[in-house]
Amino acid sequence: MKLFKKTKKEETKGTKALNELIRVLGKEKVLSAIEDRICYSYDSTKQKALPDIVIRPDDTSDISNTLKIANKYEIPVYARGAGTGLSGGAVPLMGGIVFDLKSMNKIIEICPEDFVATVEPGVVTKDLQDEVAKHGLLYPPDPSSAAFSTIGGNVAECAGGITGLKYGVTRDYVLALEIVLPDGSVINTGRKTLRSVTGYDLTRLFIGSEGTLGIFTKITVKLIPDPERIDTLAAFFSDRDDAIDAADLIIDNNILPRTLEFMDQMSINAVRGYGEVTIDEDVKALLLIDIDGTEESIRHELSVVENACKEKKALRTKVAETSKERDALWAVRRIISPALYNVATHKINEDICVPRSKIKEMLQKVDQINEHHTVYIANFGHIGDGNIHVNIMYKDDPGQEELAESIVNKIMEEVIASGGTISGEHGIGNKKSQFLELEISPQVFAIMKRFKNFFDPKGIMNPGKMFVT
Amino acid sequence: MGEDWKTEVSKCSKCGKCHTVCPVFLETGDEAMVSRGRISLAEALRDQQIVYTNKLRDYVYSCKKCMRCRKDCPSGVDYEIIISALLRGVAENMGIPLLPKIIFRYILPRRILFDTMLKVSSKIQRFIPMKKRGQMRHLPLLFMGKRWIPTLAKKTALQKFRNTKKLKNPRMRVGLFTGCLINYIYVDIAEAVVDVLNKMNIEVVVPQGQLCCGTPSSSMGDVKSSRKLAEVNRKVFESQGLDAIVSACATCTKTIKMDYLRTLGPSWKPISDKIYDISEFIYKYCGEEYETKPIEEKVTYHDPCHLLWVRGISDEPRNVLKKSSNFVEMDMAGSCCGGGGIFTIIHYDLTLKMLERKVASIERSGADTVATNCPGCVMQIADGFAGKNSKIKTTHSIQILQRALANGNINREK
Repeated sequence: MKLFKKTKKEETKGTKALNELIRVLGKEKVLSAIEDRICYSYDSTKQKALPDIVIRPDDTSDISNTLKIANKYEIPVYARGAGTGLSGGAVPLMGGIVFDLKSMNKIIEICPEDFVATVEPGVVTKDLQDEVAKHGLLYPPDPSSAAFSTIGGNVAECAGGITGLKYGVTRDYVLALEIVLPDGSVINTGRKTLRSVTGYDLTRLFIGSEGTLGIFTKITVKLIPDPERIDTLAAFFSDRDDAIDAADLIIDNNILPRTLEFMDQMSINAVRGYGEVTIDEDVKALLLIDIDGTEESIRHELSVVENACKEKKALRTKVAETSKERDALWAVRRIISPALYNVATHKINEDICVPRSKIKEMLQKVDQINEHHTVYIANFGHIGDGNIHVNIMYKDDPGQEELAESIVNKIMEEVIASGGTISGEHGIGNKKSQFLELEISPQVFAIMKRFKNFFDPKGIMNPGKMFVT
Repeated sequence: MGEDWKTEVSKCSKCGKCHTVCPVFLETGDEAMVSRGRISLAEALRDQQIVYTNKLRDYVYSCKKCMRCRKDCPSGVDYEIIISALLRGVAENMGIPLLPKIIFRYILPRRILFDTMLKVSSKIQRFIPMKKRGQMRHLPLLFMGKRWIPTLAKKTALQKFRNTKKLKNPRMRVGLFTGCLINYIYVDIAEAVVDVLNKMNIEVVVPQGQLCCGTPSSSMGDVKSSRKLAEVNRKVFESQGLDAIVSACATCTKTIKMDYLRTLGPSWKPISDKIYDISEFIYKYCGEEYETKPIEEKVTYHDPCHLLWVRGISDEPRNVLKKSSNFVEMDMAGSCCGGGGIFTIIHYDLTLKMLERKVASIERSGADTVATNCPGCVMQIADGFAGKNSKIKTTHSIQILQRALANGNINREK
């Protein structure tokens, strides 16, 4: 539904909607110049689709008014936080209206005594983390993009991140939502309390709904006390399986590290030389582990972790002495995903999640699928959760894309066979919608579609995402 | 210049990390005013999806060219190649406004003409009312009533240091690249450089005939003018047989050390290797040897973008300041002060926002004086304090060292 390009009828529809939007919202909040539209046409998947209008809302009523107009003219609408998603959630595939929600970036309130905070969707996750830290509190979900992605985007995709093993993911921290529905009406789900079981849990339905049901305008999150300190340990291994065994052993010892991250050889190669960390050539896998707590508890846990790594033949372990060293180690981990473009220009980024006991087997299957090394595959991620980022990198040569896709297909089949899921934290978007029915039964799929139709009967919310049809 | 930008733009993975470091995006949150957005616009230009328009020009000019994004880019995009191409494209497709064009093409390359014009201006400026602490209202912006810029010096640095002191057995002989701001306005910075280096038994010459480094013209995409200036500067400095070349301007240093390698080619490499920022030079060649009597003032340091983000120099000026003053660190020392170039005219509101942020950081540090290594930053930050009637002074770090070497006897105020 390209508004200004197709039929005469659609053209007038688009022009009418644009004029109405300008009249209701004012010129400043309605962008339609090609230069602006280009800047809101993409996300981190590198896909591009040009929107017709970009709206910069100030508040809930701007969004509500826009949706009323969009609904009337049946124009597609897309919510966009920072455009850092990895499944295509913010890409305006069918043209239409993009909301630049970065303009709604107020932290509305932090209630230290209640352990809750309420924010607008455009707040950058790290800004919230920094603000609540001033009150000695922690908002634990910590995707690698936390310094630039927004809470709104995190909730819409149900972002995970590196602290999932100990603290859970975004959905475990969202208590209440203010949502604008496609017809422009505003609803509130959940309560600003740490527990509430009143009625169906609509909050959870909207978390991870990828902008296909409504648009969040206020988000209330749960906070927890900020641990006294964090220590970081890097363990270097000459063998991938040793690293996986070490991670298992740590957890078998009843220790849940704040983070337990894994990087394989290809991932290490991609980031070698970035920042201030040198990684020796003999290192084929590494674990990056954060332990948080009190000085005493950390000392104990750290020694257990170090021993576990040594028992599983770690070449060496290194505890960061200063916060600068800690940041340098983490900078390396956080940067893998984009740095992989140094390996090859094209990437298919999967974020499979399997039961923890199946990780070793799963990675061996990935090796088998790519046994002729026709593409590059980098595996890294949240090994404690079984959530591994399998990145298939390929060059611009003919046939490579099809090859990469067939490899992805095979990997997905194996994931499902091992009881895993096709997406642990990035969301489905349009990148993984083709695999949805691999995991979800026809019955459940139909139920999901009915939910979608109930909230968005005209199908204007983020069309082309989640479901193929 | 080549078409390398066309492949460079494809390297961008659209991850959005540049959001976290871009000083302009911090103020606007506007995707068209951050590297990822401008790279997408460059892609659209390459693919002939758009053409140069006023709007596009404003987005291109919204870049401070601090190059902080390049330093942190996980995909290794050389953003400077892309922004330079965009600026060049703006110039080629939309033309350069007449006044800057006349200045770049006809005045900057002619030292005597430039001198005369500014001399006339300096005579006129005596009649301009409302001067504050050596600052006066910025003429074109007088009617906006907000900007304060310093008055022009009576004698330029080049004139003043035509014949510098010959030392008996100097350790080294270095040339000073003054740059325009120091030559015409902050002659006392040049004086501090000569003074400090002489005290360290280093002979300084200020090669006559040197011209503007070329940043003003290249930042408006006038590559031709910049090349002309670079070629004259090459002749002037190559013939001197110097052990090193120093500059007290972060931007001039970046331009003559790094950009000239592109403009003049690899033959510039031997000279380029010998070019240093003044603090970098002192740290490298004088180390900890010199004796100082630190001044009592609390001094903080503002990192000029082109020194910190392009060259990674941050410890060296701090080392000099710690030796010569009661040094305090400020938060966000590396965030851009908002000064510099066409940006301050086209995006005047953003300039002020960035300046406000910087002024607040400096005030929070509790410092009496803010030192930096770039006369452009000095001018911008001094403007921020002049407007507020603040007591905080703005100076170049070399002037702090000069005072510490002279036991605080030299009066820095003009």
